Amino acid sequence: MRALPPWLRRLRGLGIALAATLLLAWTVFPFFWILLTSLKSPSEMMAIPPSLVFTPTLDNYAALVMGEQRGQYASSRPDFPLFFVNSLIISIGAVVLSMLAGIPAAYALARFDFPLKNTLAFVFMSFRFVPFIAFVIPLYLIYQRVGLYNTHIGLILAYQLITLPFTIWMLRSFFMEIPQEIQEAATIDGCGWLGVLTRVILPLSLPGIAVTVILGFMFCWNAFNYPLMLAGRQTFPVTVGAIQFISYEQVLWGQMAAATIVAALPQLLLSLMVQKYIVRGLTMGAVR
Amino acid sequence: MASASRARRRAKALPFLLLAPALLLLAGMLYPFGLGAYYSLTNYWLQYPNRFRFIGFDNYVNLMGEPLFARALEFTLGFTLAAVVVQVGLGLAVALLLHGRLPGRAVIRALMILPLMIPPVITALMWKIMMASTEAGILNHLLSFLGIAPVNWFGSINGSIVSVLIIDTWGNLPFVALILLGALQALPTEPYEAARVDGAGPFDTFRYVTLPLLSPFIVLVVMFRAMDSLRIFDVIYATTQGGPNDATTNLHIMAYQYGFQWYQMGKGMAQSIILLLLVVIVSFLLIRLWNRASERTSH
Repeated sequence: MRALPPWLRRLRGLGIALAATLLLAWTVFPFFWILLTSLKSPSEMMAIPPSLVFTPTLDNYAALVMGEQRGQYASSRPDFPLFFVNSLIISIGAVVLSMLAGIPAAYALARFDFPLKNTLAFVFMSFRFVPFIAFVIPLYLIYQRVGLYNTHIGLILAYQLITLPFTIWMLRSFFMEIPQEIQEAATIDGCGWLGVLTRVILPLSLPGIAVTVILGFMFCWNAFNYPLMLAGRQTFPVTVGAIQFISYEQVLWGQMAAATIVAALPQLLLSLMVQKYIVRGLTMGAVR
Repeated sequence: MASASRARRRAKALPFLLLAPALLLLAGMLYPFGLGAYYSLTNYWLQYPNRFRFIGFDNYVNLMGEPLFARALEFTLGFTLAAVVVQVGLGLAVALLLHGRLPGRAVIRALMILPLMIPPVITALMWKIMMASTEAGILNHLLSFLGIAPVNWFGSINGSIVSVLIIDTWGNLPFVALILLGALQALPTEPYEAARVDGAGPFDTFRYVTLPLLSPFIVLVVMFRAMDSLRIFDVIYATTQGGPNDATTNLHIMAYQYGFQWYQMGKGMAQSIILLLLVVIVSFLLIRLWNRASERTSH
């Protein structure tokens, strides 16, 4: 590359600094503002222009947790802690089930040759791109009939549409990274398929399994549209719970802001742990 | 000999045995879909279950004749095009920015991915708070410094379309940027040395070296973003609900309305399957494009 003249280089440096600042502001400002909003009282919320300096209050969070009727802080939705627990139950349940079914399936797809193998792998992959409504309408009708509507089990089963294809493809990509020779050595030492799986594949891909579990959990936590249609007040997760602060009469802005912070927090913490694998997770192992 | 053949048969059955639990769950996914596909050929209306009747492709034909369907299809395709162009364009810019020398790059990268990790519906609610249409809304307040009059974000047709696009872009820009950044960092160095020897300037290098090498990855992110934008639901549901005046109603929202607002399950399923077919067609075209792009770079 030809050397740029000094003034152009300085201009370029300035442009880069400006772009980086804009990128940071664009990313961080919404979090900052929502956090601020969640600490405001209702009268502060309506201030024109929006206030930056104010006496922070934890009333919104208190209303979220306790759902007390406190004058204008009244939360019509006292059950946010329940929603949080629901999110945990459904997400953990869905990941555990996907792991139980996904580990042997991924092992078969990574290490065995059999007819229809690639077709099957593709069928699992295709769920990544399916519009949820095509499944949720019949699921809703079936669930109403068999009593799975508004149950944790029903949601855990529905969430398999999210986690099972993801788990199988992720684990398959991690399993395939293990050198074939190690497996052959174990076979010579007298390991059957179960021995290969439990003594070679699983221990060697432990980090990959951890990443798959965490990302699978996060995708479940993010899910909104399946529980919107298949859950009821007793089983709503935080995503559906947060939208309950919008009603025909009013929007409880402060509590909604607090709810979004609470709903996003586990994700922000977990994402730090899986930073390097996020792309791999979102493309189901296609892009390393 | 008999036991040897039994062992061989067992070895053949083993992968299917391992797959059995997953296949069982897969069957549990395909069954409702099959049932739904059948319902799409009926007039299933939850409020009038006694009128249930097989009607062939009437739902499909009727849907396609509806004025709202044409508008929803137009919005679906238009939004997808806009989202892909904006997000891939900006994402490439961000990737290039982070690929260069930049102080605090690791911190910026770590912060940048956060919008990608939180639930899309939560993203939508966060922006809904910031996009309050009065002057109490922070976004309008910030825009006033640029001399821009308060925007009626979710109340006007253009405002609501732009709002959905902004929110979707905030959530998904990191995805595009991360993939392209990873691709940039894995590019071979030889073509760049050759370009330098030939005396190519930065723009020529970008145009004739970086872009072609990057093209399979660009097609890949276009594919992922197009698939997701065609099906966007959470953000629209949490902000505009398809309004105002159906301006942000896409095929997905329309299918939801048929199914869960009017309980016309047959028609809702027909609409779902039309959307599914659209996704399949677009993904098929993009996979072909991807194959061609990756062939070109491997030569």
